[in-house]
Amino acid sequence: MMRCSEFRDLHCAFVDDTLAGVELVRMQGHISECDECALLDTRVRRSLMVVRNLTPIEPSADFARRLEVRLRQCRTEQERPIGASFRTVATFGAVASIVMLSYVAESLRTTGARPQDIILPPVVAVASAPSRTHARFADTLMTAPAPAIVASVSAGMPFWPAALLTEQTPLQLASYTGGR
Amino acid sequence: MATAARKIVPALAHAELSASSVRDRLRHADDSAVVSAFLNGEERAFSELVERYQTRLLNFIYRTIGDREKAEDLVQEVFIRVYRHLHRFDRSKKFSTWVYTIASNLAKNELRNRSRNPLVLFQSITKNWQDEERPLEFEDAGNRPDDLFHKRDIREKVEEAVGQLPEHHRNVFVLRELEGKSYEEIAEITHTNLGTVKSRLNRARNSFAEIIGPWLG
Repeated sequence: MMRCSEFRDLHCAFVDDTLAGVELVRMQGHISECDECALLDTRVRRSLMVVRNLTPIEPSADFARRLEVRLRQCRTEQERPIGASFRTVATFGAVASIVMLSYVAESLRTTGARPQDIILPPVVAVASAPSRTHARFADTLMTAPAPAIVASVSAGMPFWPAALLTEQTPLQLASYTGGR
Repeated sequence: MATAARKIVPALAHAELSASSVRDRLRHADDSAVVSAFLNGEERAFSELVERYQTRLLNFIYRTIGDREKAEDLVQEVFIRVYRHLHRFDRSKKFSTWVYTIASNLAKNELRNRSRNPLVLFQSITKNWQDEERPLEFEDAGNRPDDLFHKRDIREKVEEAVGQLPEHHRNVFVLRELEGKSYEEIAEITHTNLGTVKSRLNRARNSFAEIIGPWLG
């Protein structure tokens, strides 16, 4: 004796006529005994008959024309990228090369030339005693440079700032540590 | 001059004959042969694929989303995607399954977008109402008016009933009952397993019968 739940579970295959012989007989037997399941079976089959015979809708008159327009755009897009990207890359490469060459040429031109000398007015140095306290540390930066440095400045030699610092450093350290 | 013209006409006639024989050959070939022809450079093969599938896809998408104008746009989108990606299609598989999968995904996306935008949903529903007021005089004159009304009435009721099915039931129902797809194909198209397809179809059939039953008498 088949239960209604089992009938409902197998009903899809029953309608599709894909059940094995034994199960088919059981399903037919259940329909003859159960009014509710018989009604379900009838209703489902009738509704499927209606939907399966539904008239299909056709595409509109300009469907083909619109599709052709889109396909043409598609073909154009597919053909363009290979040539376009090559030209883009080539153009970019050419511009980059020109810029690079210009920069290199300019660099070579400027390094080849003699640097211009910086001519400064002579500095009048005033010697002052090195400070013993930390607060006066800044003052030590203004000590007078050595005469040799002064001479080099007036002669227009360019290395005087480094020399000045070199000259100053021992005095500064001495003044800072020698404050004790 | 006349001799040249005489030579051109047979050449053209020969070309036309060749074109029509190519079209005939394509018409009688199966999907995989048509796909191969297209991939080998025969552009007319794509037109053959369009002709084979445009109505079926339109009906599938239209029954799924309920908007005819949008359904046509989506069918066009299906063909554009097929055109772009046919070279990547695995020819050991069925072409119809692949194309229906694309259509199913587009329809699902459309429904998902609509559910996020109530205004779009409202506009598509009201547009369909306006379409229903199309006068009967444009219908087939061979049928009697009451037959036409009855047919249109039934069609509208059926479409309404299908539209009331839950989305994942509706998809399976349309593929099976309107497109005649097998369970295996439906499983592949909808990315589900066979058991799920059968279960959803069973429920869809019962729901559909319940909705349409009163109108069938």
